[in-house]
Amino acid sequence: MAAVHGDAHGHEHDDHHPSGIMRWITTTNHKDIGTMYLWFSFAMFMVGGTLAMGIRAELYQPGIQILEPELFNQFTTLHGLIMVFGAIMPAFVGFANWQVPMMIGAPDMAFARMNNWSFWLLPVAATLLVGSFFVPGGAAAGGWTFYPPLSTQGGLGVDLMIFSVHILGASSIMGSINIITTILNMRAPGMTLMKMPMFVWTWLITAYLLVLVMPVLAGVVTMLLTDRHFGTSFFNAAGGGDPVMFQHIFWFFGHPEVYIMILPSFGIVSEVIPTFSRKPLFGYSSMVYATASIAILSCVVWAHHMFTAGMPTVGQLFFMYATMLIAVPTAVKVFNWTATMWRGSMSFETPMLFSIGFIFLFVIGGFSGVICAIVPIDIQVQDTYYVIAHFHYVLVSGSLFALFAGAYYWIPKWTGRMYNETLGKWHFWLSMFFFNLTFFVQHFLGLAGMPRRIPDYNLQFADFNMISSLGAFGFGLTQLLFLYIMISCIRSGDKAPQKPWDGATTLEWTHLPTPAPYHSFEKPPIVK
Amino acid sequence: MRRLQVSGLSTDKDHVSIWQVAKAVLSAFMGIRKKSDLEHDAATLKPMHVIIGGIIGGLLFVIGVFSVVKLVIS
Repeated sequence: MAAVHGDAHGHEHDDHHPSGIMRWITTTNHKDIGTMYLWFSFAMFMVGGTLAMGIRAELYQPGIQILEPELFNQFTTLHGLIMVFGAIMPAFVGFANWQVPMMIGAPDMAFARMNNWSFWLLPVAATLLVGSFFVPGGAAAGGWTFYPPLSTQGGLGVDLMIFSVHILGASSIMGSINIITTILNMRAPGMTLMKMPMFVWTWLITAYLLVLVMPVLAGVVTMLLTDRHFGTSFFNAAGGGDPVMFQHIFWFFGHPEVYIMILPSFGIVSEVIPTFSRKPLFGYSSMVYATASIAILSCVVWAHHMFTAGMPTVGQLFFMYATMLIAVPTAVKVFNWTATMWRGSMSFETPMLFSIGFIFLFVIGGFSGVICAIVPIDIQVQDTYYVIAHFHYVLVSGSLFALFAGAYYWIPKWTGRMYNETLGKWHFWLSMFFFNLTFFVQHFLGLAGMPRRIPDYNLQFADFNMISSLGAFGFGLTQLLFLYIMISCIRSGDKAPQKPWDGATTLEWTHLPTPAPYHSFEKPPIVK
Repeated sequence: MRRLQVSGLSTDKDHVSIWQVAKAVLSAFMGIRKKSDLEHDAATLKPMHVIIGGIIGGLLFVIGVFSVVKLVIS
């Protein structure tokens, strides 16, 4: 990484700020807003996790035990929506808020007031989404992809979901514009694009993807809304519309969305692994290139989600080949992380454990993705638990594990206190064990033909479902341990040394005191 | 192409051949590039070159995959 010269402790800090609740409501400080994003996303993670516990409790045994089928469908729908839009995406924006200005030597985000607005839209959207459980007819129940005709027929809950998605989309677009502008305009002198930390690069590319696809999502939910209330027939065959068109538009957003949720994880892992291997990132420029390639390719593979919806052979083959080719830049990344660790002076603190766990399990999720990309196989496993297993390997052991790695890695910088290393390692190993217990067996369930989004199932699926549910309860409880570790770190953790990770080379570690002051880099550092 | 005059400073960034942009973009698609070539690219290519090259490269990629598909089913 870039060599940095300058004054490490020369900041004249003016740390006064409003106190109490008004500090948080009116703040324009990127660190405060980052903190709010992270707490919000954790709260949503708990809500989405509670829904997951409900789903797994119902699936613990065959038969209907605790959730009526209609409510079960609401649980699966809202679990997906809340985890994607409420937990994973805002968590990455929280990391971007905290880290991007500090890593590029900027004093704050480019549009500080818009930053505040981007965040405060989120609780409104979350209230609409969670509140929809309590309206007549309950929450949306057509799956997180809200395909018509289910979504054109649902009740008030679907309208609330549509408004919620609109608001979340607006928040994401504003957040992305902010991140792009900050990175392109506010880098410290000497911080050229090719000297930026990988986390900043991955976020820059992710932000462009967000600006590209969030309006598409907003468009498609607006079309749903007009179909529902204003007499249009975009997706209604009886009126000359086409429900498959919804799927094309949705997945033109939805597939880049997958990469929106994984590229910043690549960035976090690309910071953590060099630090704990005490070596520079292997193939930095190829990592940048691979990230850009993945982003471009992600826009031309969307229809692999719809192989069974009806498509000419030419279309099936095109999307199959294009999808399989994404494995190339992704493999470049995995090879580079492995090569970074190769012959490094490695140590295995919690962030490193989560990063290695990320590589190990993300590769499994990536390979099952290549398997799903093959049309004849996909037609067999479409809508089964195999797909559920695949995308949870990508999103839980991919995105979520990287978020944990990042949280442990940067919490000393954020709070000035160290987390409990022993408990952190317990958190990792318990998560690792229970995650695989939950989701590995779902591959077998899917291959045996168990469909997704059903509250009841045939007897032959009983054993694996019981194992999966036990794993899920364990995984859910383990995340309470994470909450405990973080709260005890913030309240009473040991004082963190100035630079707890001796291999860290980015500006926030080399150039700022620990904890990071409320206002940092008012005078930009010189990067050479 | 004419030399650009920016704030009285001349720049060599406009002396870029299409072939150089194509090589940079193609190697980016593969994710592999020699360090000396990369440094040369970083010194001479402007972001706009790479972005336009990347969009054209993406289109060529789509046309290429589509051609292979046509070949396979013909």
